Amino acid sequence: MRKISILGLVLLTIGFVALWFFERPYEWSIDPSLPLPGVPADNPMSDVKVELGRLLFYDDRLSVNGTMSCATCHIQALAFTDGRARSIGATGQIHPRSAMTLVNVAYGSRLTWANPLLDKLEDQALTPLFGDNPVEMGMAGRESAIVDLLRSDERYVDLLPSSFPQDEDPYSVINVVRSIAAFTRTIVSHNSAYDHFLAGDETAINESAKRGMELFFSERLECFHCHGGFNFTDSTTHANARIDRIGFHNTGLYNMDGEGAYPADNTGLYDMTGERRDMGRFKAPTLRNIALTAPYMHDGSAATLEEVIEHYARGGRLIEEGPYAGDGRRNPFKSEFIRGFVLSDSEREELMAFLNSLTDESLLTDSRWSNPH
Amino acid sequence: MHRLLLLILLFVALSGCSRRPIELVVPFEAEYGGEVIRCDSPDSGPGLMDLRFYVASVRAIRDDGVTVELLLHPDNQWQQADLALLDFEDGTGACNNGTSDTNTTLRGTLPAGNYRGLLFTIGVPFELNHGDPLLAAAPLDDTAMHWHWRAGYKFMRAGIRTADDGFWIHLGSTACEGTVRHITGCRFPNRVNVLLPEFLPGKDSVVVDLAALLKETDLLDAEATDCSSGPAERSCEAPFRALGLDFVTGSALDTQDVFRRRAGQ
Repeated sequence: MRKISILGLVLLTIGFVALWFFERPYEWSIDPSLPLPGVPADNPMSDVKVELGRLLFYDDRLSVNGTMSCATCHIQALAFTDGRARSIGATGQIHPRSAMTLVNVAYGSRLTWANPLLDKLEDQALTPLFGDNPVEMGMAGRESAIVDLLRSDERYVDLLPSSFPQDEDPYSVINVVRSIAAFTRTIVSHNSAYDHFLAGDETAINESAKRGMELFFSERLECFHCHGGFNFTDSTTHANARIDRIGFHNTGLYNMDGEGAYPADNTGLYDMTGERRDMGRFKAPTLRNIALTAPYMHDGSAATLEEVIEHYARGGRLIEEGPYAGDGRRNPFKSEFIRGFVLSDSEREELMAFLNSLTDESLLTDSRWSNPH
Repeated sequence: MHRLLLLILLFVALSGCSRRPIELVVPFEAEYGGEVIRCDSPDSGPGLMDLRFYVASVRAIRDDGVTVELLLHPDNQWQQADLALLDFEDGTGACNNGTSDTNTTLRGTLPAGNYRGLLFTIGVPFELNHGDPLLAAAPLDDTAMHWHWRAGYKFMRAGIRTADDGFWIHLGSTACEGTVRHITGCRFPNRVNVLLPEFLPGKDSVVVDLAALLKETDLLDAEATDCSSGPAERSCEAPFRALGLDFVTGSALDTQDVFRRRAGQ
């Protein structure tokens, strides 16, 4: 009798230890001053899943002709952008828009330039993988090829079952997007000079950048209304966010017909809602690492940060000739915060110094996010 | 007593005979201006680039005027009870987005009766249209038919190539509200209603006429190469009209020109 009760006690203890081991919360490797990112209930984080996602993120075999992976358009050294005005898919098709950075994408309440429906990375991953207009990775209808890949590569055979212990058959496309989403959620930047300044190191940014910061957060320049908060975008959320914050804005980049028209392949939110007032409305991207993510805007139509500042200073872009000719300043759907401002040369330099202080150099080489193949 | 029982049995048996459900196959044929159109049609003439579409709510009209549901046989590939995917492209020729499998018939059961007239919808019903394609049952598990960024399915993919140019259409619900997998409604449902009043089930077939679909579309216009159901796409107006869709509201009109009956022999 006593033997049985001791055995029972031992088993119970083992059970509790096992439960603690498997149920312990994922440990985010992010600064405690940041909120924790939200994670879908059906795709909890784990170290093994993140490792698996990293392998998949860099796997060229996830494209129709083996020429591109997620990392082709999201290059770590460029803060996970590709340096192109418009990205190019596996079959050479040119995307209408520019690849967005993945830095702090875990905090994105909406994930892409102009889609109000996409709020989860797991869902977003389907478009580059399977989309055919334009073709990005070109895997539409090739689900079985993906499953074959998972079953044939011993690293995936090794990691998939432990990443998805509840699954009877973990070799599935949904687990590919879940793993990639888990990996990209870990790409959090909080190590810029500006972050060190915020943490109390007064010398982390110079006086010029400090004056630039004042300008950035001033009502005169209005930048912070859309590029505000710890992530420098108003489309920001986190694990304990109370409200769904979304921002799409027309910044007066185009005005082709004098009535607000944007180029037909990039009408922004309008393409999704069909509401005329949504013409030319795009998400304000994060400004973290902004110095590294040229060219700028949804279509890469601004080559440099100086050009971007010039656009906002004018209160909208003037295109004098060509198919896109028009005065964006007069776009009737333009955000009320794009009013224009006058900057002296030194102020312009200060603003640039501040924007440059948002660069997190460590992110560009951090081995957690580098190519594991 | 025995005689009465026998009589009852006889009655049941007889009525069973005449009231046996009808096993029905509805064949579909793809044409362009009266000619069969295929992926590997000669390069000079019009050829298929793609033709896949969902058919839902298939009903036949009984002789007493009542519309009766054709219960499709779920086969874990093409059909659920109320939804089928028809697929005319075989991955050859210009159908380079496709696969070799094809499916050009609906297969199901109608209750016993006499029928004339067929109704169906081109599209995926709202309740099924906004789930996760990676968890959905066939035929909703095909990533080529899912429209990820619009958070629903492509109800129809149709594409025609000519010697020099071509045109393709992706039809589906747009201007949806909510978020992916939690869509609350779509302002432009874009589901096509088809009514073929003279259709004789078991005898006739359904013709999909791509020439009718593109009747008012200039295939050689290099500016207008496609219609993906966007609200501003003027290139959608003509094919939407042919499909019996109001381009401005996305709702179904009374008539369409693309699907018609072919009398059986």
